[in-house]
Amino acid sequence: MSNWNAALDLGGLDIDSAFRESIFAHFRERFTRMVRNSSASTASPLQHAFDKRVADVKAPKSDINALILDYLTMEGYPKAAAKFCKEANLRPQQGDSSIQTRQNIQHAIHSGNIETAISALNELDPELLDTNPELHFSLLRLQLVELIRQCNSGDITPALDFATKKLAPRAATNREFLDDLEQTMALLIFPHDSLQPELAALLSSDLRRSTATKVNEAVLLRQNQRREAAIRQLVRMRAWAESTARMHKKDLPESIELGLNADNLEYESGHEAMITT
Amino acid sequence: MTNPYQQQHGSSNFDSPASAGLPPPTARRPSYASVVSGNNPVLSRPLRSGFSHLLNPSPDSEQQRQQPHAGNLYATSPDSGMAHIRNGASAEDVPGGIHQGNNAAMWHPRLGSSLPHFSRAFDLYMNKDALFSPNPAGPEDVRFAPGNPMPNISSTGFLSPSYLRGTVYLQTLEEKHRAKILAEREGHTSNGQPGPSSSVLSQMGISGNVRLPLPANKVSGSAHRGVAYDIVETPLSAEASDAIDSLPSRWNKEDKEGALEVLGDGYEVRHTGRSLDSHEASAIRADHYMSPSCGVYYFEITVLNKKKDKSPIVIGFASKGASLSRPPGWEPESWGYHGDDGHCFAAHTVGKPYERQFGAGDVVGCLVNFRLGHALFTRNGQELPIAFRDIHFKDGKDGKGKLYPIIGLKRKDDHILANFGQMPFQFDIDGYMKRQQEVISENIRITDTSGLAPGLSETDLIQQLVLQFLQHDGYVETARAFAEELDGEKSALRLNSQEPVKGINIRDDEDANNRQRIRRAILEGDIDRAMKYTDAYYPTVLREHEQVYFRLRCRKFIEMIRREAELTMLLEERRVRRPRQQGDGYDDEVMLDDDDDDDDQDMVADDAPGGGGVDAAGLSKLSQEALAYGMELRAEFKADSRRETSKRLDEIFSLIAYPNPLRVKEVAHLLDGSGRVAVAEELNSAILTSLGKSSRAALENVYAQTCVLLDDLRAGGGDGAFVAVKSVIDDIPPSRLR
Repeated sequence: MSNWNAALDLGGLDIDSAFRESIFAHFRERFTRMVRNSSASTASPLQHAFDKRVADVKAPKSDINALILDYLTMEGYPKAAAKFCKEANLRPQQGDSSIQTRQNIQHAIHSGNIETAISALNELDPELLDTNPELHFSLLRLQLVELIRQCNSGDITPALDFATKKLAPRAATNREFLDDLEQTMALLIFPHDSLQPELAALLSSDLRRSTATKVNEAVLLRQNQRREAAIRQLVRMRAWAESTARMHKKDLPESIELGLNADNLEYESGHEAMITT
Repeated sequence: MTNPYQQQHGSSNFDSPASAGLPPPTARRPSYASVVSGNNPVLSRPLRSGFSHLLNPSPDSEQQRQQPHAGNLYATSPDSGMAHIRNGASAEDVPGGIHQGNNAAMWHPRLGSSLPHFSRAFDLYMNKDALFSPNPAGPEDVRFAPGNPMPNISSTGFLSPSYLRGTVYLQTLEEKHRAKILAEREGHTSNGQPGPSSSVLSQMGISGNVRLPLPANKVSGSAHRGVAYDIVETPLSAEASDAIDSLPSRWNKEDKEGALEVLGDGYEVRHTGRSLDSHEASAIRADHYMSPSCGVYYFEITVLNKKKDKSPIVIGFASKGASLSRPPGWEPESWGYHGDDGHCFAAHTVGKPYERQFGAGDVVGCLVNFRLGHALFTRNGQELPIAFRDIHFKDGKDGKGKLYPIIGLKRKDDHILANFGQMPFQFDIDGYMKRQQEVISENIRITDTSGLAPGLSETDLIQQLVLQFLQHDGYVETARAFAEELDGEKSALRLNSQEPVKGINIRDDEDANNRQRIRRAILEGDIDRAMKYTDAYYPTVLREHEQVYFRLRCRKFIEMIRREAELTMLLEERRVRRPRQQGDGYDDEVMLDDDDDDDDQDMVADDAPGGGGVDAAGLSKLSQEALAYGMELRAEFKADSRRETSKRLDEIFSLIAYPNPLRVKEVAHLLDGSGRVAVAEELNSAILTSLGKSSRAALENVYAQTCVLLDDLRAGGGDGAFVAVKSVIDDIPPSRLR
């Protein structure tokens, strides 16, 4: 429709007649097409007032770009962040090396190299783990899980040693730590292919991911007082706002599509060829 | 010679973003009068450029001045602009202000006389930032300076209570206010007689009464040869400020019982002492109702009575239906806290004991929480318990259920002063509001997002949103880099190295590459290249999206002026600065960075755009090219009667009026690099539309949907009043877009 309007607006212009003629040709073409398609379009449901309002709201590119750069920076994607600054003409939010360091630490945790991660963390911020015993314990416990994973149906001595030396002294000071430790040790007793769900969860990659996220947030919090990327707040705000609005019986369409896959479906082929007359 | 620009910007009033919200009255930019009289050491130095000679007739061109439309543009400078540039420069060398004053007077009055006289609304127009910063902290904050009794009211009369700052409600009010001020100013301008217009401007097609963004308040008498104006300060029209959901701001003289009188700018109310029988009181309502969209509304009164006894003073809120000759709280649709007995009354003559009494010297506040449907009071800064629960607020469009702040007085010389937010409150309402907002934020924080996209965790969903945006908007290289980094993450997370990684398939989309090429050209300021590419890849787009075409053409003009202004800057200052490297995005260094090493000079010569080289001839060529292009542009769009078109053209042509627009705060923003981004995005959207793709990426949908959903939740004082999408964005540390 916007094309249509734009074309209409040309009426007030002083343009040469050939151009004008081509515009009119285009006009007629579109008009015929509209008429032709009108029967088809009535099949689709009427646009809900909500969708209309959404279409009228501005989503400024500067805001969206800021969200993207913030995300790439905060969550540690240094290459993408640098490219994006270049392509979108933005100033970096943080230096490349800072993002890279955090990515390295996350990468080490994701790959199960907890020792590497801990030493990198200590190098980056020697006080971080000392002031954050829970985080330190989470890392050590993940390290224990990795040791147990490695010794599956083999020698369990390294895992036992590690648990006794590194984790037990900490667990003695904190009830929750103790529970976590006991639960983790149960992995040594049961065969890994027939674990209860909560034990099996310890062995899934989700524990690596969530631990890495916790570590990243702790580093960020000490660096700039913000824990997580703004886009997370936005996405949650979107989810919260919809469920709250539905709870209050606001007039909403049955489902509100994000449009993640919309582009491919809406592609019109042959559109350009149409107006070359 | 020191850099005058820096001198000016050295003062904290200009370069401190925190103070940009409200410059102190004395720190506004120097008046035009001071420029003309040569009093201002900074601005009185004429900054000559290639255009200035066109605006600067030689002293013997009086005749031409009187016939501004006549004659050849270049009549006074047959030997190109350089002679005049030199003239200007020589004036600069003469010590003392007289010569400078004359020089300035030669070209300023004509502009000046064709300009509107700005009222006190001036600084609002100039100030692109919020009227008030959302965070009123910092030593440079002048609003709490002693001697400013109403620090929360802007110079244009906008009331901005501290606790509502950052809310969508207040932002909406502020936008309305701003629009109104602008509309008033424009109305004002069009009533004025057009002054004699400058020959250049009229050549460019700018009419005599065009409003240039110049603060031409007064031109000193001797220099002022144009038409004399009567400067009329129009007060804000009552009707316009009566917009439907303005904040209560004063007591309403038209809505009171006869025994009361309103004093002190509408904030004070006094009982005149006309006798009343014992069951009655005299009440007065505020001018506007408390909009539930605030989420929380709060006002305070100070009892100014001289006598110390506990007086029957009432504070509360009521609808229009409640009688004004009975104490608030006794009447239907009225609620009140009575000072003589300390009781609370909710639409009934029988109250309930609430708290202590109050009287002379006490500060009592009334707080309505629309979300929770209750109201409470404060006394001398202390929060008292909840007084009324289960109040059903109706955001009635029909006028029903609208509740107004109200007070009731009974005895002669009962006297109160209200604070509707114009001053800091005794009670820490900011803290109260913050706690309300935190409750909602916490609810949001723990929200599960799995309902948004079935099967995707929050992290997965966000990765997809980001990736889809990057591809959708044609950030090809970023998308590729991001996909690689995600792949790396996925393979690290594999527990079994034999397990294959499901790679992310980045379509090597020719279309995305094309769009990226076009975007890059615009971001580098090369509009011609962008238009060439667009015509080659998407031949219909510019014809179908005529507005985008217009914006591109305008941007090209702006880029020409920009180049010319930069070159001027280089010529002007013998100290060499780093030249603008197109597309590197750090353009502000040109103006701010004074410490560059001098070996950049070679680069200057090599990179100088326009092919003219860094000399006067090159500058003159650039000027003439820009001028020629400007006229072409004007001719092409002269038949376009749309207001936005002519407004935009006038706006950008006004750049010509300045010797160096980069140095003029009021117009420099037109040249800003962020304008490139805006044009690039518009063109990208147009191309997407023409391809039949959604012009919005999913992330943009998320943004827009959230805005609308929150609007719905805001109506009637719901949770939405306490959150804003903008605040999420504002949390992001600035990356300073260029």
